[in-house]
Amino acid sequence: MKTNKYGPFVGRVAALIAMAFALPCGLLGQTASVRSSGGSGTSATQWSVQVDQIDANNLDLSYSFQIAIYENLLVELNKTKQFQQVFRDGDRRARELPKLLVLKTTVEQYTPGSETRRAVTTVSGATKLTVRSQLFTREGKVVLERTVAGNVRFFGSNLRATHNLARNVAKTIRQSPSLGSAVAFGATQAGFRG
Amino acid sequence: MDRLVVSRSFSKTYHLDRRHALWLSTVLLCCSLTAPAQKTTELGNTSVPLSTRATHLLGFARARNNSDGILSVQADSLQFQQNGKPGAQVKISSVRDVFLGSESKQVGGLPMTLGKAAAPFGGGRVVSLFAHKKYDTVSLEYVDADGGIHGAIFQLKKGQSEIVKNELMAHGVTISSHHVQSAKQGAAEVGHEDK
Repeated sequence: MKTNKYGPFVGRVAALIAMAFALPCGLLGQTASVRSSGGSGTSATQWSVQVDQIDANNLDLSYSFQIAIYENLLVELNKTKQFQQVFRDGDRRARELPKLLVLKTTVEQYTPGSETRRAVTTVSGATKLTVRSQLFTREGKVVLERTVAGNVRFFGSNLRATHNLARNVAKTIRQSPSLGSAVAFGATQAGFRG
Repeated sequence: MDRLVVSRSFSKTYHLDRRHALWLSTVLLCCSLTAPAQKTTELGNTSVPLSTRATHLLGFARARNNSDGILSVQADSLQFQQNGKPGAQVKISSVRDVFLGSESKQVGGLPMTLGKAAAPFGGGRVVSLFAHKKYDTVSLEYVDADGGIHGAIFQLKKGQSEIVKNELMAHGVTISSHHVQSAKQGAAEVGHEDK
């Protein structure tokens, strides 16, 4: 008799607990699905990118800096996982790919610094680099165009500016809202210029 | 009488010492003259493979960045071997260009930097003023099997980059005209560092 008396009550409590657990789980599922569809990662990963050699733009930028920017860009773009493959300039495998973006980097400003001056004065001797990064499609349409800077102000060698610059370029590409849509639409529309 | 005898014997020994000293100094002088000559012939001799201590900054094959090792020019390849690890190598025929430069860096790395930061009354800054060293850099541009362009940077002791460049040229690497410009830029960079 006692079990019959408490039976409906236990059932209701169980149902309430089940609902309490089911509701947040459903909400979480919804947010997860929204996040995955809203992110540009899924569409951008179908595309590959080829990093072109650095254009020094007639500035007095030493070749070690140009090489360091190029190599660091390759490393940092690989880290973003935004692209299916990251190719080097001149790579024959990239020619056969239908979905290929080309990253061109032109140096706009370069201020040579000094590690010793940074260590002695703290406030002066910064190495500063500013580049214009452009992502093109095969047809030559600009998908993304941004001006990015990379500096070394306190600790580290002068070449560290190239590492910081490459990291900022990769971050810009990753965070760009226009990139996902431009790539998703097959880059048929004009890209975002910033 | 005794005095005379003593003085003669002293003068004899003195003369002997002087002869010895003269002979010794002549031998030392000859040695000092022949040592650089031997060194020059060793460097100029292309049959002996060049190997020099270097720091790999970035980009060379699968070598770890900022690692010390031996950079050597073998028969048909350029090799960088880290201490106690298998070497990374690139065929010399794939090297497209070589650029030289120079750089001034603070010595001591992170421990020194921390020590300088901890030093009271700005003592670390004074140390920084003198604790820097000039290095040569060798930047290489080479292509892989798929035609992709690679870049690698090595840091060497001052004066070593020219030797590496000459060795690579002796192995058939063609160096473009802007190599000279690169050297000038490197010098300018160091000049800026010295200010």
